[in-house]
Amino acid sequence: MTAYEERTLPRALPIGPAGWRTPGWWGVLALIGTEAAVFAYLLFSYFYLQSQTTEAWPPSGLPPLRWSAPSTVAMLVSTATVWWADRGMRLGSLARLHSGLIVTVLLGICYIILQCFDWRGEPFLANSGAYGSLFYAITAFHVLHAAAGVLILLAALGWSAMGYITPRRNSVVTVVAMYWYFVVVAWIAVFISLYLLPWISTH
Amino acid sequence: MAANPTFQTPEIVVADEELHRKLEHMWSDPPGIHGWLGTTDHKKIGKRYLFTAFVFLIVGGLEALGMRLQLAQPNEHLLSPGLYNQFFSMHGFTMIFLYALPILSGFSNYLWPLILGTRDMAFPRLNAFTYWVFLLAGIFLYIGFWNGKGTDVGWFNYVPLAERAYNPDWNVDVYSLGMIFLGISTTAGAVNFIATMFRTRAPGMSISRVPIMIWGTLVSNIGILFAVPAVSLDFLMLWLDRRFGTQFFNPSAGGRPLLWQHLFWIFGHPWVYAIVLPAMSIVSQGLPVYCRRPLVAHSAVVLATILTMVLGFGVWVHHMFATGLPVIALGFFAAASFVIVIPSAVSVFAWVATIWTGRPVFTTAFKFFAAEIVLFVIGGVSGFMTAAVPLDWQLTDTYFVVAHLHYVLIGINVFPVIGGIYHWFPKMTGRMMNERLGWWNFWLMFIGFNLGFFPMHISGLEGMPRRIYTYPANLGWGDLNLVTTIGSFVFALGVLLFVINVVRSRIKGAPAPANPWDASTLEWATTSPPPSHNFTVIPQVASLDPLWEERLEGSRQSLLEEGPVLDHEHEIPGTTVLDAEPDVILKMPHATLAPISLALLIAGTFVGLLMSMWWVAAGCLLAMIPALLWWFWPSPELGFAERVRP
Repeated sequence: MTAYEERTLPRALPIGPAGWRTPGWWGVLALIGTEAAVFAYLLFSYFYLQSQTTEAWPPSGLPPLRWSAPSTVAMLVSTATVWWADRGMRLGSLARLHSGLIVTVLLGICYIILQCFDWRGEPFLANSGAYGSLFYAITAFHVLHAAAGVLILLAALGWSAMGYITPRRNSVVTVVAMYWYFVVVAWIAVFISLYLLPWISTH
Repeated sequence: MAANPTFQTPEIVVADEELHRKLEHMWSDPPGIHGWLGTTDHKKIGKRYLFTAFVFLIVGGLEALGMRLQLAQPNEHLLSPGLYNQFFSMHGFTMIFLYALPILSGFSNYLWPLILGTRDMAFPRLNAFTYWVFLLAGIFLYIGFWNGKGTDVGWFNYVPLAERAYNPDWNVDVYSLGMIFLGISTTAGAVNFIATMFRTRAPGMSISRVPIMIWGTLVSNIGILFAVPAVSLDFLMLWLDRRFGTQFFNPSAGGRPLLWQHLFWIFGHPWVYAIVLPAMSIVSQGLPVYCRRPLVAHSAVVLATILTMVLGFGVWVHHMFATGLPVIALGFFAAASFVIVIPSAVSVFAWVATIWTGRPVFTTAFKFFAAEIVLFVIGGVSGFMTAAVPLDWQLTDTYFVVAHLHYVLIGINVFPVIGGIYHWFPKMTGRMMNERLGWWNFWLMFIGFNLGFFPMHISGLEGMPRRIYTYPANLGWGDLNLVTTIGSFVFALGVLLFVINVVRSRIKGAPAPANPWDASTLEWATTSPPPSHNFTVIPQVASLDPLWEERLEGSRQSLLEEGPVLDHEHEIPGTTVLDAEPDVILKMPHATLAPISLALLIAGTFVGLLMSMWWVAAGCLLAMIPALLWWFWPSPELGFAERVRP
C-alpha cells in the first residue's frame, strides 16, 4: 500500500473560493479576533475609569435609549437578513442573496443614521471629560466598523451582480456575513455596557 | 470563452526537469520595476525583512554606543541631556519594534512555506503589504529624529510626561502615530501566519508533525493578535488627548494616568514573549540538527510554548509594582510571574537534554544556539528575582533591570537570530558562511556581551538609576561603567565581523548543497537557493522529520519526488486543520502593485494626520476604497467567474 492511498489523493478537489475552505475565512476570523480585542480594551478602559471615579457615572445622567434602542433592533434584524442571504445563495438562489444583502445594507445605514442622532442629543462633548472621551471613542469606533461592513456588503452585492460570485464560488459572501455578525455582536456588547448597565444599576 | 472549472483532480507525477522549468517560469516575477515592487514571493519578502530589520539593529546599536561613550566615565559631556534622552528612547523602540519582531518575521516569511512544504504564504499580497508598511512606518518613526526632535520620553512613553502640556513638540505625535502605523503591519503579518499554518500545510503534515519553528511563530502571532490592539489604542488615545483635547489620561477631568500604563503593559509583556518565542523556536529547530538527533520532548516544548504565551497575558502588573497598586494585585501578579518560569524551564531542560544525549558538532550556529541557553538562564534568573515584589521595589528603575532585559532580548533574540543566519544562509543564498570568521564572530559577541552587560547587575545593585545621562565621580560607578563600555564595543566588533562574513560569503562563499547540515525538515529537501516555486511536486509528509525517516524508522515514508503537481497557474493545496488532508486547490495571485499602493496611501494618511493636513489624510483614506477594490477584485485567475478566456 502506498502513502497516496492512505491520504486519499488523487481525488477531485474544489478550486478556489469555495466557502469556508478559503484561507480568507481564517484571515477574517483572525481579523475579527484582533478587532474584538480593541473593543475589549476600550470597554476595559471604560470600566477601569468608572471604578476609579469618585463622581457620578455617567456624569451627565443616564444615556438616552430614544435612538440607541431602535438602532439595536436594526442591528439584530440585520443578522437575520444576512443569514437569510448567505443561506439562500448556498441553496442556489441569487435573488435571495441580492435582496438579503440590500436589506442588510439598508439596516446598517439605518443604524449609522440613528447613532448620529444619538450623538446630536448627548449633552457632552469628547473633550468635556474622560467619560465623554470614552463614550465617543467607543461609539465612533463601532460606527466606523459598521460603515466598513456596509461597504464590503455593497462590494459583495456588486461582484455578485457582475457574475463573479455564484453558489460554488461563494467564499466572499460567507466571509462578509461572518464579519457582519461580528459587527452586530460588538454592538450588543457596547450597548449593554454603555446604555443598559447604567439603567439597570439605577432602577 | 471556456468554462472556469470548479473541480480538479490533481495529477500525481514524478518531478522532472521539464516540469521544474515550467513551474520556475510560471512562478517567477515579471522583469523590471513592476516585478521588483510588486513581488509576492515570500522568499524575496523574507530577505527584505531580514535586511531592513538588520539595518535598524545597526542604527539602534550606534545609538547604544553613543550612550556608552557618554557613560564611560563620570561627568562626561559628549551628549547633551536632551540628546541623551532621545538616544535612549530611540534605541529602545528601534530595537524592540523595528528590529526584534521584524527580523523574526523575516525568518518566518522566508522559511514557513519551505518548512510547510508549500509554494507561498496563505496571503502573498498581504505579505508584500506588511513589508511595505513596516518599511514606511520605520522611516516615519525616524522623521522626528532628523530635525533634532526625536521622541525623548522613553519607549514606554509614560503620561503625563508625554502629554502636550509637558511635551509640546511633535516628537510624541510622531511616535504615537508611528506606533499605530507599525501596528497595522504587525497585525496583518499575524493574520497571514495564522491562516498559513492552519490552511496551507503539505498533505500529511498533521498537527503532530508540524515542526517546532512553526509553533513558536504561530503562538507568538496569536499573542500579537490580542496584544497589539492594546498599544495601538493607547497611542490613539494619547494622540487624541494631545491633538483634540480629549481627557483619557487627565486626572482633573476623570481620566487616569495609570490607564496608560495598564494598556501599555497589557501589550508590553505579551510582546516580550512575541519577540522571544519565535527565536526560541529557531534554537529548538536548529540545535538538534547539530546534536544529530531530534529535539528531546518535542510535544512538551510545544505545549510549554503555548502555555508561556497564555500566562504572558497575566503578568503585566509586574512592570507596575512601584505604582501603588493594591497588595492583592501585587500578590497575584507576582505569583503569576513566578509560575511562568515553569514552561520556560521546560524548553531549557529539553535543549540541555538534546545536547547531552546527542553528538554535538561545534559549528558557529551551534555555538550561538548553545550560548542562548546560558544567557536565557541568566536573564531568566534575574527576571525571577524581580518578580518578588520587595526586591523589585529595590531594583526597579536601576541598571539591574537594564541588565535583565538585555540578557533576555539579546540573549534570546539576537544570539538565535545570528545563529539562525549561519544555519539558513546556505539555503537562502546557495553559499556557505565562513566558519573561521564565524569563530571570531561568536567569541567576540559572547565575551563582549557578558563583559558589557553582566557588570550592569552590579551597578544596579549599587543603586545606579536607569536613564541618567551622567553621574558624579564620588559614587564609585566609574570603573563598572568603563568595563561596560569596553564590553559593548567588543560586542559591536563581533557584529561587524558578522556583517563582513555575510557580505564576503555572499560574494565568494563555497557553494552550498541542498542539505549542507544533513537536517531533517522540508526546507532542506529543495535546492539551495530554492526555485521560485519552492517544490516541483508538493511533498507528502509522513513524520515530524521527513528527511531522517531512514535513520529513525528504517525506511522513507514521506514522498518528496512524486506527488501532486498543480501546474495550472499558481496553485497550492489547501489542507484541513488537524489532519492536513487536502480539501481544496487554492489559486494564488501574481505580482501586483496593489499592496505597495495601499501602503503608500496609509503612509499619506498618517503624514496628513501628523501635519494636521486633514484634507490629505481624508483624501488618502478615501483613495483606499478603490485601492482595496483593486486588490480584492475577484479575477477569473483566482477562480472567480463562470467563464474564462482560453
